[in-house]
Amino acid sequence: MINRHSHEAVLAVLAALAIAVLALQSAEFLTPANLMNQGRLMTEVALVALVMTFVIASGGIDLSVGSIMGLSAVLLGTFWQKMGMPLPLAMVLVLFSGALCGLFNGFIIVRFGMPPLIATLGTLALYRGLAEGISQARSVRGWPEWFAQIGQGSFAGVPVQVWILLAAMAVAVVILGYSRWGRTVYAIGSSETAARFAGLPVDAAKYAVYTASGLAASLAAIIFVSRVSTTRSDMGTGLELDVITAVVLGGTSIFGGRGTIIGTVLGLVVIQALESGLSLAGIKGDGTIVLIGVVLILTLLASTFAESRARA
Amino acid sequence: MTDMTIDRPDAGAPMTGALRRVLREYGHELLVALAILVLLAVVGTINPRFVSARNMTSVFSGNAYIAVAAIGMTMIIVIRQIDLSVGALIGVLATISGTIAVSGAPVWVAWAAPVICGAAISSVTGVLVAYAGIPSIVVSLGMMAILQGGLISVTGGAWISDLPPAFLLAKMKVLGLPMPLVWGVVLTSAAAVWMRMSAFGRSLYLIGGNAEAARAVGIPVRRRIVAVFAIHGAFAGLATLLFATQLQVIQSTTPANLELVIITAAVIGGVSILGGTGTVIGASLAAVLFAAIGSALIFVNVSAYWLRALIGVLILLTVLADVMRRRRETRAGGH
Amino acid sequence: MKTQFLRSLAGLAGSTAIALAGVTAPAFAQWTGGDDLPTNPLSCDASTPAPAPVAYNGGQPADATAKAGMNLRVVDVPKLVGIGYFNATSAGVAEAAGDMDDMSATTDGPAQANIDDQITLIDNYITSGVDGILFAANDPVAIAPLLRKALGAGIHVVGYDSDAEPDAREWFINPAEFNGVAKTLMDELAQQVGEDGSFAIVTSTFTTPNQARWIAEMEAYQSKCHPDMEWLESVEAQEDNILSFNQAMTLINKYGDDLDGIVGMTSVATPAAAEAVTQAELCGEVAVMGLATPNAIRPYIKSGCMEDAVLWSPVDMGYAALHVLRAAVGGTLKPGDTTVEAGRLGTLQIVNGSEVLLGDPVVFNAGNVENYDF
Repeated sequence: MINRHSHEAVLAVLAALAIAVLALQSAEFLTPANLMNQGRLMTEVALVALVMTFVIASGGIDLSVGSIMGLSAVLLGTFWQKMGMPLPLAMVLVLFSGALCGLFNGFIIVRFGMPPLIATLGTLALYRGLAEGISQARSVRGWPEWFAQIGQGSFAGVPVQVWILLAAMAVAVVILGYSRWGRTVYAIGSSETAARFAGLPVDAAKYAVYTASGLAASLAAIIFVSRVSTTRSDMGTGLELDVITAVVLGGTSIFGGRGTIIGTVLGLVVIQALESGLSLAGIKGDGTIVLIGVVLILTLLASTFAESRARA
Repeated sequence: MTDMTIDRPDAGAPMTGALRRVLREYGHELLVALAILVLLAVVGTINPRFVSARNMTSVFSGNAYIAVAAIGMTMIIVIRQIDLSVGALIGVLATISGTIAVSGAPVWVAWAAPVICGAAISSVTGVLVAYAGIPSIVVSLGMMAILQGGLISVTGGAWISDLPPAFLLAKMKVLGLPMPLVWGVVLTSAAAVWMRMSAFGRSLYLIGGNAEAARAVGIPVRRRIVAVFAIHGAFAGLATLLFATQLQVIQSTTPANLELVIITAAVIGGVSILGGTGTVIGASLAAVLFAAIGSALIFVNVSAYWLRALIGVLILLTVLADVMRRRRETRAGGH
Repeated sequence: MKTQFLRSLAGLAGSTAIALAGVTAPAFAQWTGGDDLPTNPLSCDASTPAPAPVAYNGGQPADATAKAGMNLRVVDVPKLVGIGYFNATSAGVAEAAGDMDDMSATTDGPAQANIDDQITLIDNYITSGVDGILFAANDPVAIAPLLRKALGAGIHVVGYDSDAEPDAREWFINPAEFNGVAKTLMDELAQQVGEDGSFAIVTSTFTTPNQARWIAEMEAYQSKCHPDMEWLESVEAQEDNILSFNQAMTLINKYGDDLDGIVGMTSVATPAAAEAVTQAELCGEVAVMGLATPNAIRPYIKSGCMEDAVLWSPVDMGYAALHVLRAAVGGTLKPGDTTVEAGRLGTLQIVNGSEVLLGDPVVFNAGNVENYDF
């Protein structure tokens, strides 16, 4: 048990250490107000990272999430303002189209056997291009007050989107840890051939993870549009790298077969704590970027080392 | 879809053996070359200025630095690795080179520095991949952050201007041809021959195809991985020389998404992300194809808004053609 | 199996067709990159109408004068770090901070012009309890909720270069009015390429608010005052040197003799366009002008390939921003004022309710380019 979760253990220690040190550096860091605020800032990345854990654990990858986010944001504005749909309907349609983008990824990966890295590199360009083409560089503004609540409001003292995130986390933990789907995802990541021989629904599971990935990206888009009250076709640029960094830092193996939601959450916490805490401690943004890169490499080194020790 | 008929050996009349062999081995490269020719023909008909000597020079030399960087990336992908940090690396190397150039040091030092530093920085990635066993996608993601943030921390974002004219390599001409074009052709040919003829070069395909088998026949796989990363870094340095000397200023930010463009060029050029196959010629041709498309869109008055969507479709179609050809080959091989 | 495969192929081909149909839609061919907002072209001669007074429309921090006389910590957040232009603004901020013994200012910005990174950065500075924020917005709307939060927390907020929604900040340092820049650019261009000249534009992206606004004003002013000039097209080149160069080269190749001038809308695009004209050996035949920092265009002005370029002093802009912030804190600048004192810049006018006007744009040419270093 310890061996299986050695990475999560390393990470938990690292997270605790980072939070303790940063709290000593700045009195504003470990305050309820800042913690809630950081939750608000990390929701979009976290939502996508939860599903990305499934994608990577299944031995795949999805580089197109940032572009799906941009396309979804643009579509939300187009459906609502240009086509005059009621906003709730537009939101549902956006979630649907995000899922459709994900399904298309799954389709070319499963049906054509295209490597996920390349397939989603292609759709990264395609979806961003569609977002640019559809938006024609125009922003949609003037969102109603109730819509702004999703990204800017609070419920019971906690930001609305953090409730959404907590719900999504609970669902993700249950599915990946305790369901047949979760076991199938791990099995595909370990050996797709073996999973097929064992009669597991390999294709269905792959379709499901990529579709869910697109869905998560479009949900993130709705929350982000609500938070910043405008749409732009360049929203979510580079999101995929932030997400993958968090998931991989969380111990999910890029080759598949291993990874937990808890690990991903810890990875997200470490990154967010570093970004916020270092900034509060007076370190500039570029220094923080460097440090996150170093932490990523060192953590992976430590965990690989711990693993080979455990095996020896 | 032209590709479907072109590279299907059994589609037309029986072909001669030599032609069939060339098609089988360089089918993909010919496909990309054909795409370039079709594009030139179509757009050239619409607007003859597109195929004017000057525009052709721009098309072939404008993306030469991407072609050069894609050579190294091809080798990386052939051995089944990836490097996401190459864009940031080129940004860092450009600043190193430019700083040396304006410091008054001899020009050759400013030219050699990025190649050497590129090889050194990239070897670090290679060592972490080969000996520490961390996947290259993760190491290079970390390296990208370190290089990107480090560059801004060190330079504070200052541009380098007043570069000495002797430093501006990309503006020089050889036999009347622009230097970037010459470099692209020479480096691509040299790397292609080397990948195909040398034992080292051929061993890369084995490492990518089946690392266990490579180890079994005595290839020092780990050392080769580090070596390939070093070579890739050196090519990034060579690409930097074209990139940084084209204009009279050097920006100290890394060009956004450059790594994706370079990887895409390698992949469209026929390098399989599954490792083991692909040639540098295809990658260079793909870089030329990008330049030709970018230029053509302006010539035929297509809104730049749709450029990216078009490239996405292109990637998907190329890879699709590649996947289908492979399937056929596996099936044919099974008989 | 085979039919399935064909069906899949049809699906892929279908989506390709949709994408291609979009590509060829002719409706976008006339696109110039301007925005939809109303334009206000100046008159063709040199007369400038007295601006109509507008009531103060900025926002005010909670307890506006509470920080008077205290030592203040200010953060300066440009659109991005790593380009010469914003290096110069932060040098101006630092210069002003050096003049004052009760202010400390640091510059910190995103590595790329990304709204999310900029928002996160500012949010963390709000939490850290800074006393003042100077910003250049990547998006006027997206940044507004956050700036309102800063005002609510009693933080003084002053924008420069790229504005936010007015009520989200107290004051904005307007480097030059959009229609003024448009007039200067078009008049200079007309003088170089002639009243029947044709020209093309190289800009950053069509979504960049300032560039889109300038282009829209240029269109309006051109059709009013230089109706015989021909606007060939506008192309995007990000904030990327090499891409700007390639795009300018392609324009030269496409239009050949029909192209009389290229206008660069960013400090990156203009020198790159000058380089393209130099390498095409068309100096003197294709004029290059636009917005540019003097250091980047000095070689081309010296070589004679460019006559001039237009910009304000980004150093002065950063300098003015911090002075205005201090005046607002100290209570010497209050809503409704029509002028403000800004150190070595003297008295600056306030227009449009809450915009501090830096002055007329500077034209850099062979006569004065040596006097500037940024």
